[in-house]
Amino acid sequence: MSIDVRNLSFAYKKDSCETPVLDDITLTINKGEFVGIVGEVGCGKSTLVKHFNGLLKPDSGTVEVDDMSATDRKVKGRIGMLFQHPSKQLFCKTVYDDIAFGPSNFSVSGNKLEGCVHNACKQVGLDLQLLSSSPFDLSGGQMRLVALAGILSYSPSYLILDEPLSGLDPMSKRGFLSTLEGIRANGTGVVVISHDLDNILHYVDRVILLNAGKIAFEGTPAQYLASGITPVPEITQLIRLLRSRGLDVSDSVYSVDDAFDQIIKALKSRKRHGDA
Amino acid sequence: MAMPDMMFSYVPGTSFIHRLDPRTKIIAVMVLSIFIFRSTTVVHLCGMALLFLILCHAGRVGVLHHLRSLRPMLVFFTFIFMVQLFLTSGAPLFTFGWLQPTVEGMVTGAFVTSRFILLILYASVLTSTTRAAMLTNGIERLLRPLPLKGLGVTSFEIATMMSLSIHFVPVLLMHARDVRNAQLSRGLGTRRNFYTGMMSMVIPVLTGSLRMADEIAMGMDSRCYQGRYRTSLFELRMRTADRLVIGGIGILFGFIVLSAL
Repeated sequence: MSIDVRNLSFAYKKDSCETPVLDDITLTINKGEFVGIVGEVGCGKSTLVKHFNGLLKPDSGTVEVDDMSATDRKVKGRIGMLFQHPSKQLFCKTVYDDIAFGPSNFSVSGNKLEGCVHNACKQVGLDLQLLSSSPFDLSGGQMRLVALAGILSYSPSYLILDEPLSGLDPMSKRGFLSTLEGIRANGTGVVVISHDLDNILHYVDRVILLNAGKIAFEGTPAQYLASGITPVPEITQLIRLLRSRGLDVSDSVYSVDDAFDQIIKALKSRKRHGDA
Repeated sequence: MAMPDMMFSYVPGTSFIHRLDPRTKIIAVMVLSIFIFRSTTVVHLCGMALLFLILCHAGRVGVLHHLRSLRPMLVFFTFIFMVQLFLTSGAPLFTFGWLQPTVEGMVTGAFVTSRFILLILYASVLTSTTRAAMLTNGIERLLRPLPLKGLGVTSFEIATMMSLSIHFVPVLLMHARDVRNAQLSRGLGTRRNFYTGMMSMVIPVLTGSLRMADEIAMGMDSRCYQGRYRTSLFELRMRTADRLVIGGIGILFGFIVLSAL
């Protein structure tokens, strides 16, 4: 059970001889895995994920979801895709109707539908009282939660999020990521496209770095930091700076909590040595 | 994100037609359009088609690019052809129930349709060889002598409105495509409910375009936009080539007027 991409190449302008947007990409995303796709603007991240549910068709190569071609109609129900701007998908009179749009398209109805909607709200931590209000009266953060709930409501096997953190404050970012963590824990594969290495590196199992349409790196966050690729999270930069100044800390730290522990430990041991 | 090759888009170049003053080109297209609508013989239409091909060659823009501009109008072309075909009285071609296409209908239908096609092709020649900014600049300059003050607008405001609308066409199309992608991902089209499907596209596109308009207005306001008098980055200047073209167009216009008398 996985998303399998084999030798995928794709170009928007078919007739030109420019380099393609995606060039011979091969990767696998398993159920229950948390994958971060990173890379500069225009390196093909969004284009890549649009192949996962058949919004774009590969020029060459194949994309298979649970052994079905990604262009198969059934695939859309297995993949939940959240785009950057939630306002581009909200349209109903009430939040409830909007969240129910997905599941009712995939022929869920009646009591079951209501269950789906309530369940999705619970997952994203959306106040059930908001269900009867208009989606256009919500704040930006709430809109994003509604949009996410609108996708979780049809319980996709894979959740794909394109820049879900942009425009959120630090607290909401962490809240959003732990929500995703919870969804992953239920066995859903989660793919996050993000520039925000500072935040996502702590949550993902695997990092995929795209550069000019090719996979430049693939591996665990620890391997990513060890490989010497830039960019690295700010906290890693700080720790490396401290290390270069002679503080005994590990140089592959990417979460603030770990960094804190490391610094305290290093300072304590320095003090002990100083005492001795 | 790569932009698709759009209808009526500008094709960069330095050809003779590209370098003409936008005013010349606008006036030329206007007069040629009048001529197309007044032409009653096949020879005239063929002549206009030939002139179009010459312009394509002179402007170094492929015929295919112009033909692409026709695609969205296909339904309209079919419609007007059908209306002419069935509603013109004359010798019947054949009878199919109460439908009775006529020979005369076919001829007028073909005429009317090819007029519209030519009209659009010439407009496409204009837009493919003139930057949108220059186009609005030209229109602004042509409108300036008109007494628009009485209507509460200035030619500059009209020019701004036009360039904004032109600028927004590709932006809105991209927006619509994003909305479509988002709704397709949520299973739009898997269920045959036309109304909900329609609404799921129309409402986000509409709210999005209103929001964008609001943001643009705010951005213009905060940069002190005013529409009473505006200078332009490009000063328009008539060259010898422009005078020659205007002269030729003037003769054609004279011919049209004379034939109308």
